[in-house]
Amino acid sequence: MKIPMKSSRRENLAAYVFLSPILLFFAIFFAFAVGFSVWISFREWDMLISPLDAVFVGPSNYVVLFSDPLFVSSLVNTVIYAFSTTIAVVILSLLIAVALNNLRYSAVWRFIYFAPVVTPAVAIGIIWSYLYNPSRGIVNEVLGWLGIPAHNWLTDPHYALMAIIIVAVWAGMGASILIFTAGLRAIPQSYYEAARIDGATKVKMFFSITLPLIKPTTLFLSVTGMIGAWQVFDLIYIMGTNAPASSVQVISLYIYKTAFVNLQMGSASAAAMILFAIVLVTTLFTLGIFRKGGIESYE
Amino acid sequence: MRKVFWILLLIGILASFTTTAKTVLVIQTHWSDFQVNGILDKNGNLVYPGLKQYIDEYTKLNPDVEIQIREVPFDNYLQQLLVSHMAGKAADIYDLYSLWAVQLVNSKILDIPPSDILNGVKNDFVSASVKGATIDGKIWGIPSEIDNYALIYNKKLLTEAGYSEPPKTWAELIKMAPKLTKYDEKGAITQYGFAFLSGWDSAVVHPYLSLLYSLGGAMFSADYTECLVNNPLGVEALNEELALFKEKATNSAGSVFDFPHNTVAMMIMAPWYVSSLKQAYGDKYDEYVGIEPIPPVKNPATVAYTWFFGVDNASKNKVAAWDFLKWFALQVQPNTNTTRAGDLEVNVISVIPPNKADLENHLAQLADLKVFIDQLKNSVQEPNVMQGAQIKTILMDQIVAAWNGQVTAQQALDNAVRKINPILSRYYH
Amino acid sequence: MNKKRKVTGMIKYVFVGLVGVAMITPFYWLISASLMTLQEFLSVPPKWIPSDPQWHNYVEVFKHVPFLNYYFNSFVVAILSTVMVLLTSAMGGYAFAKLNFIGKKLLFKFTLSTMMFPAFLFLIPNFYIITKFGWTSNYLALVMPFAVSAYGIFLLRQFIMGIPSDLIDAAKIDGASQFAIFFRIIIPLTQPALATLAILSFIGQWNNFLWPLIITSFSPELTTVPVGLSKLSLAFSTYTNQNLILAGTVLEIAPVVALFLYLQRYYIKGIVLTGFGGI
Repeated sequence: MKIPMKSSRRENLAAYVFLSPILLFFAIFFAFAVGFSVWISFREWDMLISPLDAVFVGPSNYVVLFSDPLFVSSLVNTVIYAFSTTIAVVILSLLIAVALNNLRYSAVWRFIYFAPVVTPAVAIGIIWSYLYNPSRGIVNEVLGWLGIPAHNWLTDPHYALMAIIIVAVWAGMGASILIFTAGLRAIPQSYYEAARIDGATKVKMFFSITLPLIKPTTLFLSVTGMIGAWQVFDLIYIMGTNAPASSVQVISLYIYKTAFVNLQMGSASAAAMILFAIVLVTTLFTLGIFRKGGIESYE
Repeated sequence: MRKVFWILLLIGILASFTTTAKTVLVIQTHWSDFQVNGILDKNGNLVYPGLKQYIDEYTKLNPDVEIQIREVPFDNYLQQLLVSHMAGKAADIYDLYSLWAVQLVNSKILDIPPSDILNGVKNDFVSASVKGATIDGKIWGIPSEIDNYALIYNKKLLTEAGYSEPPKTWAELIKMAPKLTKYDEKGAITQYGFAFLSGWDSAVVHPYLSLLYSLGGAMFSADYTECLVNNPLGVEALNEELALFKEKATNSAGSVFDFPHNTVAMMIMAPWYVSSLKQAYGDKYDEYVGIEPIPPVKNPATVAYTWFFGVDNASKNKVAAWDFLKWFALQVQPNTNTTRAGDLEVNVISVIPPNKADLENHLAQLADLKVFIDQLKNSVQEPNVMQGAQIKTILMDQIVAAWNGQVTAQQALDNAVRKINPILSRYYH
Repeated sequence: MNKKRKVTGMIKYVFVGLVGVAMITPFYWLISASLMTLQEFLSVPPKWIPSDPQWHNYVEVFKHVPFLNYYFNSFVVAILSTVMVLLTSAMGGYAFAKLNFIGKKLLFKFTLSTMMFPAFLFLIPNFYIITKFGWTSNYLALVMPFAVSAYGIFLLRQFIMGIPSDLIDAAKIDGASQFAIFFRIIIPLTQPALATLAILSFIGQWNNFLWPLIITSFSPELTTVPVGLSKLSLAFSTYTNQNLILAGTVLEIAPVVALFLYLQRYYIKGIVLTGFGGI
């Protein structure tokens, strides 16, 4: 139950004292950059002339984007990528975190599961290119035992995005497992003891104790996972360069290329604003889902 | 005590005067560490000087000049240039890829070279590289590197398949490639008859342009108002590539990393790749690696691209910058008849030096690149068009789509032209 | 019943073990490949164990690049920004989780929204600001733009919300100030979350590439490990030096691994400290 509380003047003051360094930071390193980007998104700017000399073009940067088939396919690819990785990462890492929680040598296991997080993206790209190699790679080898024909995972337009999503889930799980582990540690053992005395099964305990009490963590990982996935760049930049662009390119790569290959910062900023609008709506939607389904408001 | 203080202060003031009086030049390159610092042997002795040693030599001759090197990796080079330029911290001298330079010239970032340098470039450098440094009819700097393409083939694999000679024409290549291709039982290619590279724009577009030029076609109309790749010649050039896919002699999954595994019989590559192959094969290089001109569809032709040294228009020390470049890249050293930049390019960076004197007097060191150098006469400089990188990316995306059977050659090139022509029409009328 | 439990226990171990193998493989491969010769690294089929470990690959890295300087810079930058992120995240997380104030919901959504823009949008404006502050040849240029993390604020808010408000109310009745509550109750109780954030933030800074690359191109004396490594590689995607780069990569991640192993104990300690058998 949420107890309605009036904010006292002292609490207001304390809150803003706590928040003041953060707000100052955002004013300097966020507000100026975003304000500038909004302003330049209505202009044509090659980043070589002074931005003050950039020609005003009205909303045409925004309009033109939607007539570019590559922007539209980038949008579609991003949606597929964002939803599938986020959902898979949250579910899998919760299961693994629970499995690891009371395991013997849990410190060793935690390290093993954390290994992809410390491994730089470039190394991940190299190793997975080996694994996905059509003739030499383990992936086709193992699938061959099951009688599945070989595929060119990273170049075939039908499979490339899926292949990268699998790597993303694999690479993203470590951090989520760590955060879930911290969350699970915060659940009082006494709850489980009481349930055990009542004769509850492990599965029942998972659904009636673990799942509701881990909800703040699940919300956190879903929201940040989604925000991160919408902006995926590194993995696609490293592993998605050999497949047709329309089948793997995502928005942040589109923005990057528009800015630093085409030198059209105005257009790139417009695309970034559209990306922002989509991510914002998705985030509010996710927060809404968690608010509705809960016994307690976390928002 | 007080005396000492005053003396120290005086020395301090004098010292600060002498340091501020120095002309400071910043030179920005995409070369990696050992290319800047020179190549050392196992005992740490200098074998070949890098950029730094040449700069030390110059500053010893000109004590009033100080030169700083700004190393930026190739992938982030243009980004760094843009960011630094916007914040008023631009370098004085750049080593530039000609397609980037078009944009810089358009936004008036580059300085026009003094006339003695212009004449030097016109007289001393191979013509493809002079065209590379020419934008809107004017020369903008001193060429530092020229790259073209050749057929690189695996001698062993060809012999195994019963071929004693590499193909002489593209038609022959199409005939040979399937016989050099092997599949495993799962249906994956284990040996490429011919491998197409992908992953960056030049890897895809340059071999295509080489075939287009071989057919006598052109990428743009002479005034750059129109992209011509969807003309019959352009479509034919792409179909010549697609024939290899139809013959099942290749797929789009080939990579630069495959050749040294002896799983690629033939591919088209640039000179810089040769030094990596030498590293990978070690003393077996001659046994395995063969280089021949690209088998022509019609006439011998390859595309070329150029890097050149330019000076920033906003530099406070333009004269000093050009003086250094003249000494470094234009003047021929009396004992060797080569330029210092040429020595660096040949010995340390392993690229073709665009200066004729260097090409003539570095014969021994350039032996491995002989085919590439011979082909300079058949090399067509990649056109210096506005938004060149964007146009190339559009073309790459469509060619890769055609490779994967998503579109036909005609459709792919129509799609490309539909996107490219509106870009051209903004700059050329 | 007992047998069944044993079987499910087995299944759990097999599952956790199999996935574990998949997780540790690239890490293993990285170390193994860093000890190979170039020829071995390029061999077919790929080798998993170096036949003759080339320890001198590591020596070569130290010879080629001033790695100790890079380490020092990376440590200074990663530690300073991690400390700042921990402090600001805890402060922000506490305010959003436990204090009521005007504009709370809006400010929280604003904080989340700062994560929703791609990083390269900030490159030019923020570099401009850094030059205006005169920080370009200074550690501040590498640290300050990363002193606050919306991710961290959000993470700690979620954890602090789990701390029973009774604890805070009791302290208030005892006359504790907000700052006393923050430092004596909130900070000790959020140790597992702080440890998590510390390691993730440290990794983020330690591996940060684009921004340090731009900054250190002006002031090479500040070069960090990943930027230094990038200079070891050739301009194009070739293999010369590839095994050295992998050795450099191992050296790059070694401190992160050490930090992770060190911070692990806080997962247990955090719980013991509270004396509640859980928070």
